[in-house]
Amino acid sequence: MFPIHAHKELALGVHRMSVKAPIVASRAEPGQFIILIVDEKGERVPFTISGWDRDAGTVDFVYLEVGNTTRQLAALKPGDELAHFVGPLGRPAELGSFGHVVALASGYGIGAMVPILKALKEMGNRITTIMQAPDMNRSFGEEELLSVSDRLIKAFGDQTDDSPASATGAMRMLLADQASDPVARVVLMGSLCVMRLVSEMTRPYGIKTMVHLTPLMVDGTGMCGACRLSVKGSNRFACVHGPEFDGHEVEGWDLLMSRRCTYADETALQQSFQCRGCSQW
Amino acid sequence: MTEKISADESKSSSPKQKINLNRLEMPKQEPGERRSNFNEVATGYTYEMAIEEANRCIQCKKRNCQAGCPVNIDIPDFIRNLREGNIEEASRVLKKKTSLPGICGRVCPQELQCEHACTLNKKGAPIAIGRLERYIADWERSQGGFTIPEMAPSSGKRVAVVGSGPSGLTVASDLAVRGHNVTMFEALHVAGGVLMYGIPQFRLPKEIVQREVEYVRRLGVEIFLDTVIGINFSLDELLNTKYDAVYLATGAGLPMFMQIPGENLNMIYSANEFLTRTNLMKAYLYPQYATPIKMGKRVAVIGGGNVAMDSARCAVRLGAREVNIIYRRTRAEMPARLEEAENAEEEGINFHFLCTPTAFISDGRNNVSAMEMIRMGLGEPDASGRRRPVPIEGSNYAIEVDTVVVSLGTSPNPLIASRTPDLETSRKGTVIVDEKGKTSKARVWAGGDIVSGGATVISAMGEGRRAAMAMHEYLTQ
Repeated sequence: MFPIHAHKELALGVHRMSVKAPIVASRAEPGQFIILIVDEKGERVPFTISGWDRDAGTVDFVYLEVGNTTRQLAALKPGDELAHFVGPLGRPAELGSFGHVVALASGYGIGAMVPILKALKEMGNRITTIMQAPDMNRSFGEEELLSVSDRLIKAFGDQTDDSPASATGAMRMLLADQASDPVARVVLMGSLCVMRLVSEMTRPYGIKTMVHLTPLMVDGTGMCGACRLSVKGSNRFACVHGPEFDGHEVEGWDLLMSRRCTYADETALQQSFQCRGCSQW
Repeated sequence: MTEKISADESKSSSPKQKINLNRLEMPKQEPGERRSNFNEVATGYTYEMAIEEANRCIQCKKRNCQAGCPVNIDIPDFIRNLREGNIEEASRVLKKKTSLPGICGRVCPQELQCEHACTLNKKGAPIAIGRLERYIADWERSQGGFTIPEMAPSSGKRVAVVGSGPSGLTVASDLAVRGHNVTMFEALHVAGGVLMYGIPQFRLPKEIVQREVEYVRRLGVEIFLDTVIGINFSLDELLNTKYDAVYLATGAGLPMFMQIPGENLNMIYSANEFLTRTNLMKAYLYPQYATPIKMGKRVAVIGGGNVAMDSARCAVRLGAREVNIIYRRTRAEMPARLEEAENAEEEGINFHFLCTPTAFISDGRNNVSAMEMIRMGLGEPDASGRRRPVPIEGSNYAIEVDTVVVSLGTSPNPLIASRTPDLETSRKGTVIVDEKGKTSKARVWAGGDIVSGGATVISAMGEGRRAAMAMHEYLTQ
């Protein structure tokens, strides 16, 4: 059993949970994920790691209440126990000295992007971060992101695409400066729609753009193939070959979006999960 | 199984006893009834039936049946004990050679092994050895306790077993009984491997698997769940810290796909995903269990192995209206057990031979709605000795489906091998071993699907048995 060490609501329906799991904590790297099961009748659900403390043996992740399991999680208190907790799974995010790195994070990514940026900053990169929230009232995690960024831009999902206050608007603005302040690398962790749009924006510039994908998974160790996607002409499994991929090599974004929504109609709590214009709705 | 009606006497037998050449069939749930539940299809012999069947055994001096068993069970001995009414002793005889009799009795292909070798098979129906083994295991379970074998004194040696499927469980119990301290690591949240995630409840109830896992625990084997070797601990860490030897039995690995257009459409499952959701996660009990499974009405299962049969039969029970098995060769080449194919047929599953999909078509919303098909002919034999299927040009057609399960086998999970450069693997990625299961790496043995690439529960156990002998020899040097 894995006791909950701390649990906090960061914004409406957004929580950060810290779980005592020393073996996982001892090996965690930026960009990896864990799979947990709440109780013996529970489902296996993956969450990207947003922090760890190797000494205390704790692992943190940020989650949104969107379905049955996350609603169940939200009701748990420190001292309660999770039945199962396995990880760190997947490959760590690719790190290096790139120069000017632009990161875009939304939802769980606002938490899970922090370890990646911390490592990138320690390696001497200059970090510009765009953090996206549905609206001003549902914004969270600003301080932590600021601590690992040289510049933080806040973007809101209720802004139209051409507004500089939208995530894509902010990205467009940064890319417009390519001559004077070139972007060397982009890292994206947010909704599939935004990651797809931004990957297309950076493609003409040839800027390497890493996307963190979160397809449905069952076992999370390469056994089931539920998380498969087409990358540069071959089938890859997000759980073992990812979850970070080169956004310019990802094919079939439409399929990815549809596959992600396979079970949304049965368990989704938030209407906002049903993205506007998505073929599934 | 075809029943032989002839009752002519075997000449080699003792003159006073008339040999019964007809085996006693095992009661089964009626097809119409079992289509709508996950309860075990075959309900097992009663005591009277078991005795009647055991009485057919002629107790040959030359033990062909035992020689035919991959783990060398003393078959005539357990049958003799059973018919003398000494079921506990029969159970002890079984446990000397297998820790998993309840499983072996159900899922071994006995028709190719012990029963094939049975002397009576020459004249009539062989003794139903598997059913008797199952009867004894179920009897032991009904008694509540465990028949624990005699344990050797502690050797002071420690062994790590990676993977808790049939091969790992065999090695763990064999070495524990011989006095070694065994730790088992399992990546999933329950022990049992393919016995839990793969083989369906109606063929192998999970309570039976867990009971046999518990037996292995009672032998002193410690099991760590949720622990992935290759991630949480590397193979070298195991060898350099606590353990004197390691057995790798990590199983089948990554599902193979067809690599044809449209394969990532929604409602196209690998058999692994389909079976894992259904069996391991108990999606058939959703929402009591939290994992859902989406099922359509017209299902196609691609492949002709036991896993394909299991998938098709799960689909029926999950409410599919029509289930079709698509196999590119003919019935004769189908790798599934005859008994399982017959069960599937009884349950209303349709078989389509000599055809294969060439593309999956979307309904416009990225759900599969049809398959483009092509008919196949059989050409020259290939490396497997079976005639190679060849597409017949111009024979294309389409069939409507809303759910597809791809059951084409698996390729090994590279997690451990890719991080252990001195562990030799084949071009396919399977771990290379000698005839005793020894790998290229010092103090490491391997067996089961990570070595074979995909075979049966009993062959995985047989490889475990051989490796355990070699490991024991090494540990006691």
